[in-house]
Amino acid sequence: MRNAATLPVASSPIGSQAYSRGRFRLSPSLANRLTIGFAIAFAVLTGLAVIGVARFLQQRQDFEDATARSYQREIDARNRLAQGRNPAAARAAVISQQRRRQVLRDEISSETRDTALLVGAGLIAGLTGAALLFTGLIASMRRPLEDLVDASGRLAGGDLEARVAVGGLAETATLGSAFNEMAEELQRRAGERDQLERMKDEFVLTASHELRSPLTSVQGFAELLLLERDRLSPKQAETAEVILDNTRHLVRLLNDLLDLARSDAGRLAIRPEPAAPGELIEEAVRTMRAQIDARGQRLELEIEPDLPEIEADRDRIRQVLVNLLTNANEYCPQGAKIGVQARRLAAEVEIDVSDDGPGIPAQQLEHIFERFTRGDAGETQRVGGTGLGLAISKSLVELHGGRIEAESSPGGGSTFRVRLPAAIDSTHPAVDGHSPAEAS
Amino acid sequence: MARILLADDSETILLLLRTRLEMEGHEVDAAIDGQEVVEKVAAAPDPHDILLLDAMMPRKSGIDALRELRAGGVDTPALIVSAHTEGGNGDDHAGLGIDGYITKPIDFDALFARIAELTGG
Repeated sequence: MRNAATLPVASSPIGSQAYSRGRFRLSPSLANRLTIGFAIAFAVLTGLAVIGVARFLQQRQDFEDATARSYQREIDARNRLAQGRNPAAARAAVISQQRRRQVLRDEISSETRDTALLVGAGLIAGLTGAALLFTGLIASMRRPLEDLVDASGRLAGGDLEARVAVGGLAETATLGSAFNEMAEELQRRAGERDQLERMKDEFVLTASHELRSPLTSVQGFAELLLLERDRLSPKQAETAEVILDNTRHLVRLLNDLLDLARSDAGRLAIRPEPAAPGELIEEAVRTMRAQIDARGQRLELEIEPDLPEIEADRDRIRQVLVNLLTNANEYCPQGAKIGVQARRLAAEVEIDVSDDGPGIPAQQLEHIFERFTRGDAGETQRVGGTGLGLAISKSLVELHGGRIEAESSPGGGSTFRVRLPAAIDSTHPAVDGHSPAEAS
Repeated sequence: MARILLADDSETILLLLRTRLEMEGHEVDAAIDGQEVVEKVAAAPDPHDILLLDAMMPRKSGIDALRELRAGGVDTPALIVSAHTEGGNGDDHAGLGIDGYITKPIDFDALFARIAELTGG
């Protein structure tokens, strides 16, 4: 408990370091512009390639048609030659058609070469463009996504200030804005909750402070009345005592509420110093002696000799022990036995307050350190506690770095065990509450 | 018995303290705030034996009045009455020569004992 304040805020495994590599990265907006540029270039080149191929196919068709016509003319000329009609002209026509096909072949092979070059170049440009387009797309998504992962990690780790730069593709920009809105809302709600908590703590602190003055008057004047008891009728004296008893109860309740409010606000401060456990026990017993004797109860102390000193705020540990003794005193019948044992346990001192009273039922024992948990309803009329004592005792013991436990069975009595760390040496530094400064 | 200068902004608390202190045989001079404390100390022909000042009062608090008096060379023993339960911010007021803190509600037996100690009987 006492180390809690010095622990770092739990960091998420998705820490910021993991994703901020020193590698060069395109900014989302540049990546975006490049992507659009590559997309246009890719479309134009693909269009050119398609036009080129279409044109080539048309030329090929024209070549085949022209070649077919040329063969037909040559066959016609050869037929005329075979029939011996105008052989000189027919021979010339055959040669002319052979030459024409040679020209056509030359033309088409040149066209084929050009088209192959054009399509090849287009294909290379297109593939390069596609690769660049893909790279650009990845780049324009990667940075925003990495930022999102980073910011999510920080948010999960409790950094409510975590935001991302909105940019990149429309989708990542939308995602970024949505993330920022979510973080904004989370931060706003956390702020409201903290403010409500602070208002509640301040209210309890102020209210208990303001109630103290009128209570001082009521208690003081009731005491004043009772100082002149011999001039009061028995009925009047009894009335003044009822006022006084109830005022004292209110003051106890107020002090307990104040302690709990301080504890909630992290302002319950302790000023530990090395203290002898035996002395603290004896002081607490002295405070309680009259009440224990009044109920005819037997008190047995078993304090081990040579106990080490404990690191304790004397007032606060005495408050815990008085509280445990008060419970034993009030919940046990007349003539019950109340025991206080103190022993050394390794680096701790254990102080037990036990009784042979009626015990605590299991279902109540579970909640015994919670606020306003008390013995069964029939008992509360008689018992004067506030129902806050054990909750405060637990806070105080834990502030000291110790533990408190309860053992009980119905009919078998109850034992409350307080374990506190032994003082290491007398120069041990003072330990505060959760906050560095007590602001009262 | 002691001459006590008492200050509290609540008339009721003043009445209570005055009554109990007078019943103990003390002589009581009362002030309603720190300003009146300073004035009464200045006007007193003989110095008071003890100042019993509420920590928080309007116009001028008991702490501020004490600070002013100490600066003016007044070394009358002083007890501060406070509604705080935290032993009265001892560290904040170092050097003010405060001889004790009394927590509300007031434990009169403890108060009388402290007054007796401070006045040597």
